[in-house]
Amino acid sequence: MADIAHAPSTSAQNHNDFVIRVEGVSKVFQTPSQANLRALEKIALDVRQGEFVTVVGPSGCGKSTLLKLIAGFLAVSAGRILFQGEEVNGLNTRVGYVPQESKLFPWLTVEENVGFGLDPKRYSRPDRERQVNQFIKLAGLAGFEKYYPAQLSGGMSKRASIVRALAYEPPVILMDEPFGPLDAQTRMVLQDELLKIWEQKRQTIVFVTHDLVEAVALADRVVVMTHRPGKIKDVIDVPMSRPRNIFEIHRQEGFNDAYGRLWNIFRHELNIGAH
Amino acid sequence: MADQVSQEQTRAAPRPAARLMGSMGVTLVRLAIIIGFFSLWELASGRWIEPFLVSSPSRIFTSLINGFRDGDLWQHSWVTFVEIAIGFPVGAIAGIGLGYAFGRSRVLAEIFEPIIIALNGIPRTALAPLFIVWLGIGLWSKVGVVFLLTFFLNFFNTYTGMRQMDQEYVDLANLMGVKGWKLTFKVIFPAISPYVFTGIRTSIPFAVIGAIVGEFVAATEGVGFFIRMSAGIFKTADVFVGIIILMIMVIILDKIAAIIEKRALRWQNQTEHIQIQA
Repeated sequence: MADIAHAPSTSAQNHNDFVIRVEGVSKVFQTPSQANLRALEKIALDVRQGEFVTVVGPSGCGKSTLLKLIAGFLAVSAGRILFQGEEVNGLNTRVGYVPQESKLFPWLTVEENVGFGLDPKRYSRPDRERQVNQFIKLAGLAGFEKYYPAQLSGGMSKRASIVRALAYEPPVILMDEPFGPLDAQTRMVLQDELLKIWEQKRQTIVFVTHDLVEAVALADRVVVMTHRPGKIKDVIDVPMSRPRNIFEIHRQEGFNDAYGRLWNIFRHELNIGAH
Repeated sequence: MADQVSQEQTRAAPRPAARLMGSMGVTLVRLAIIIGFFSLWELASGRWIEPFLVSSPSRIFTSLINGFRDGDLWQHSWVTFVEIAIGFPVGAIAGIGLGYAFGRSRVLAEIFEPIIIALNGIPRTALAPLFIVWLGIGLWSKVGVVFLLTFFLNFFNTYTGMRQMDQEYVDLANLMGVKGWKLTFKVIFPAISPYVFTGIRTSIPFAVIGAIVGEFVAATEGVGFFIRMSAGIFKTADVFVGIIILMIMVIILDKIAAIIEKRALRWQNQTEHIQIQA
């Protein structure tokens, strides 16, 4: 079950299937006050094209750091990250990033935000408008095109933030606990919408969360990380069929099994954290 | 949700004292104070205090009308206005531009920051005589002083904005492949615009001070010259006329800046929230 994570295949044709290959990556932060902080240690992870991977772990385990390394916001301390076969070195403009807070540009309207990443060289004016309208509709924000982010509710800005990353069609979307601060109902609605959008677009998604149910409900595979220094403890396949019904995910076949396995691993992890 | 609403109501609920006055009451009291002040001034002048020391509202009003009717004051006001109209925008743009450049380039900032801070330590109006020596007693020496006073305030505010700015916006834009012109004008300037406008608006009175100080030192025309000349021959009413003109200039410039600011920052003022979930 964990073969893909732990034993990266060496054959050449397989190589192309992987959008992201994280090879022996460690990250150490230099802190002025204390000794060096080891955030990640020898992470190995492969993500296939079109896959929905979630990363769970206790807070402070470096899961956000892993995303930032893939996006190129931070540089690795050891190892390397291959993106579509090329080593990530500096900002990786082929990924979309959905940060923890929505971080919509507050001075731009919803439609300007969603269209922000659309390069005028790649998209003509009518193309751009079509693309923006399509994604605004997907996010259920039709009618709010001219609104500023300050006028939107939390859930609405979240959706706008997600489609902003999707609209310019990067091959991979990285999401850093995007639904963290939302209330339970809004969360479920957004999870449902995210899956619907993803089923249409099939972009590769790496989704960081600390919510085990969310991790299982959304993912093809769940990556479990340990407490600091973050290592990959296990990778769990979630062989549930799609499309999934988020609102009754507990009743779907395969959920309990996957959740049970995840919980078993995690329980162990929590015990370590408590000592 | 209900909690939030009730909290807001509590916060907005007028306190007893405020309720007693109301907004009409506040305006009335303010008006009464102003009228009282001017009446007292009018009354005191010539009765308890020599008119050449404090003049009086009626004398000032007459001088104001006469001054503009003769055409003298138009000329003086125009000269001062031109000095500000050149020095202020050039100083503001230079300050904002340099503040931006320092914020973008760590090397530039590291080299020049201590120098700028040291220069900022100079009381800048003390440089006015030097500007007269360098640039003559005409227009350009005053433009120089206005520039100097405007420049530093705008520089420091913009530079502070650059350092306080949420770097994540720039990172996100970069990740979306946005750079160059679009990054500067669609991300960075909007992000720092509250700071930029603070710089512009605080520097307006200083621009006027710069022009006046320049004219005090050496000039043949301008409102500053007019004030100094009038004071020299004890035409106190004219001194106050000059002061009123300067006050009006500052108010007009500030109003213009406020209108531009309100338009540019209208995304900030959109506080009408919609409460539609999902």
